[in-house]
Amino acid sequence: MALITRGVDLILRLVITIAFTVLVACVVWQVVSRYVLQSPSTVTDEMARFLFIWVALLGGAYTLGQRRHLAIDLLPVITTGALRRLVNCAIIAAIAFFAGVVMIYGGLDLVSRTLETQQVSPALRLPMGLIYIAIPFSGICMLYYCLTFLVDLFREGRGPNDQQTTTVGGPLD
Amino acid sequence: MDIQSVLVLFGTFALLMILGVPIAYAIGLAAFATFLLFMSFDQSVYIVAQQVASGLDSFTLLAIPFFILAGNIMNRGGIAMRLIEFAKVLGGRLPGALAHCNVLANMMFGSISGSAVASAAAVGGVMAPLQRKEGYNPAFSAAVNIASCPTGLLIPPSATFIVYSLITNGTSVAALFVAGYVPGILMGLSLMVVAGIIAKRRGYPVADRPSFQEVIDKTLAAMLPLGLIVIVMGGIIGGVFTATEASAIAVVYTLFLALIVYREVTWRDLPSIILESAVTTSIVLLMIGCSIAMSKAMAFADIPYSISDLLLGLSENPLVLLLIINLALLVVGTFMDMTPALLIFTPIFLPVVKDLGMDPVHFGVVMTFNLCIGICTPPVGSALFVGCSVGGVKIGEVLRPMLGFYAVLVALLLVVTYVPELSLFLPRLLLGYGG
Amino acid sequence: KTLRLNHNNPEDHPLHKSMEFMAERVEDLTGGDLKIRIYANAQLGTQRESMELMQNGALDMARSNASELEAFEESYGALNLPYIFVNADHYYDVLSGDIGADILAASEDKGFIGVAYYIEGARSFYANKPIHSPADLAGMKIRVQPSPSAIRMVELLGANPTPIAWGELYSALQQGVVDGAENNPMALTSARHGEVSKFYSDDGHTMIPSVVMISSKTWGELSDAHKEALRTAARESMDFHREQWDAMSAAAVETAKSELGVEFIEVEKGPFIEAVLPMHEEAAQKSPVVADLIKRIKAAAE
Ligand code: NA
Ligand code: NA
Repeated sequence: MALITRGVDLILRLVITIAFTVLVACVVWQVVSRYVLQSPSTVTDEMARFLFIWVALLGGAYTLGQRRHLAIDLLPVITTGALRRLVNCAIIAAIAFFAGVVMIYGGLDLVSRTLETQQVSPALRLPMGLIYIAIPFSGICMLYYCLTFLVDLFREGRGPNDQQTTTVGGPLD
Repeated sequence: MDIQSVLVLFGTFALLMILGVPIAYAIGLAAFATFLLFMSFDQSVYIVAQQVASGLDSFTLLAIPFFILAGNIMNRGGIAMRLIEFAKVLGGRLPGALAHCNVLANMMFGSISGSAVASAAAVGGVMAPLQRKEGYNPAFSAAVNIASCPTGLLIPPSATFIVYSLITNGTSVAALFVAGYVPGILMGLSLMVVAGIIAKRRGYPVADRPSFQEVIDKTLAAMLPLGLIVIVMGGIIGGVFTATEASAIAVVYTLFLALIVYREVTWRDLPSIILESAVTTSIVLLMIGCSIAMSKAMAFADIPYSISDLLLGLSENPLVLLLIINLALLVVGTFMDMTPALLIFTPIFLPVVKDLGMDPVHFGVVMTFNLCIGICTPPVGSALFVGCSVGGVKIGEVLRPMLGFYAVLVALLLVVTYVPELSLFLPRLLLGYGG
Repeated sequence: KTLRLNHNNPEDHPLHKSMEFMAERVEDLTGGDLKIRIYANAQLGTQRESMELMQNGALDMARSNASELEAFEESYGALNLPYIFVNADHYYDVLSGDIGADILAASEDKGFIGVAYYIEGARSFYANKPIHSPADLAGMKIRVQPSPSAIRMVELLGANPTPIAWGELYSALQQGVVDGAENNPMALTSARHGEVSKFYSDDGHTMIPSVVMISSKTWGELSDAHKEALRTAARESMDFHREQWDAMSAAAVETAKSELGVEFIEVEKGPFIEAVLPMHEEAAQKSPVVADLIKRIKAAAE
């Protein structure tokens, strides 16, 4: 299991880092094409927006796996023993419900409908279904991390909000 | 009013949040539960899934990861040190020189990094030992650092304003940025006044007059990092590029500084800096996607109108209503982080204040200012936590010296609320803003 | 039953007023049985999101325009072609006649059907210098909507298409990030573009209508009487909208001339038509459905 987790982490890290780098390049190119080349690119805007959706959703899954999400960690801290385990199980169940039902089930519905009706993006003419695949994909990763949380909880008693390194505050604070 | 949907939305959210469910997921599930009142199960999951992804489909929003990346590249280097030295030049001759220096450095560093927490850590981390050596009360020093670190959220560029622009369907980012200047700088200056009075009473020392050469050297050293603000804000105000493009240029500029000028970052460090920036952003982005779903659920349920009716039932006097909204936000700010509070309460209060004739840019400034106070207050206050930790003082100790600062911040909040010109004068002047 | 209708205009926009007119008529015709609740300012989502929500019935109705709709239903592409309509009457006859009805009905299997077209006038170029012919456009940076046909059209006319968000266009024109844009004359006054662009060249290249749609799922659940009432109300609101729009458009031209000092330039359309004519051929080749529509639209002009 540890090996699979490392693999999932690695894939997410690679995709996120590469997509983010391309993202920066896209927007810089947009400025360069307008001012230096005098012939503005018509696709960078859309490309950047779609890459960004992928970075955000895969990044969301990755941060969950790293336990870097923001949560009010009150009940899991003040409770002990079986009650604490129950609270942590409920938290994992809520995340898993969101990942499995909203992201995977709802996301796949969205993907299949947009593919079926052959909806394309305005500038790149990409099927919108391709862009939306990020939703169920992210959902699958989230669901997998929920599984590891469950294992950690029963093996080491470690809850989903127990971070290795405690960071305070939202990143925008 | 339809009380059922209000109860379902906030009940689900509160329940899940208290349980300890990560906030993004709690928001998404609350949205889902609310949609269930209006449509089938399949339609509800469909709309939430769509909004989580599609809510992020915004070119404006791209500016957030870029500014965070630029900030992360900068934080690796000795930027904080250079800005602190420059701040000493600026504020050194005032009573309680180091306190003023701390505020000024927070204003400059916060402006560049756009993060109150990063600023409190970087600037406070350097200033706390210095102040201790000169006999400053550690709790006082920490309080100065905590109260002044949020100035960078108002002084542009600021990711907070980008989030606000998104959640309000595209309020001009440029106008919000420019509108933040006066309130942000006033916030810093008013804190300096209070700190100065306390320092004078306690006889904290004035710094030695620096030599002319020192002044020149330190000013020049600070110019390169501060050049970022000139490029970004100059470009935006001049209409040369959009906020998003400016943020990408900021990345290029900081890379140039860090890799070539200062050589404090190597090419090999870059992948990890990029990943860290993406991760930091993603924590917020998932929350934003879910909040967009929630704001749609609120619109379906007419919740903003219900709350608006409720508030208008309390009073019809705009002055009173704005006071109520500010008080509500101050309460929210005590126990909620800034971003979720902004994401959840903007769609509720904006329609109300628009009815009162308030400009959305002005309200963005008021909202941000208000929540800036929130991150300095217990029980949940990121600036408070970080400030205490780098200052080496307990939260209980810092609250007493904080009281004076809270008072001046709340007073200034009311001034910013009731004098729209403070926020809107500059955007009107520089951007021809029509609001 | 109350239907939710989402659109992205503010509440004082003529399009919103026409939709309100439709909602009132539906309520009258059904004795209050069927209501339409209108959500302005994209409260329930963007145009694209609305389309996707209508596809599974999460949203009942939405307003979008033919330019955006091309991504969902190719038939709308025929309406977006430059110079496909010879004049305003030809345009309105096509929309309100069989051809228009066929396009509205074409998307039923895509999850939505159209109920009404609202005209938005003819779009023309405006810039900081007069444009008399395609030669004047050479090398100019012209802001376009991010649609392939708009981009192709501007390219064929020799200019550089530049996608810029609508909200940033004013300052982009002011600072010279772009040299010009293209829209109907209302943009000069409502978006204050007349303050920064002083020449409006009346080339009238495209006439792109707004479309009000209903989810196929919702439509299937309506009784025949309600369907009939909605159809009638929608049709009446089209005429109401046309009258309203023409009056406001004429007023906008007057204001732009007298208060903003915009110069309106009559242009010889021949060279423009010639330059973009390949688009009709290209569109016809790509899709037999569009080819047929183009033929019918052109036949209707004679
Ligand atoms: Na800032
Ligand atoms: Na707080």
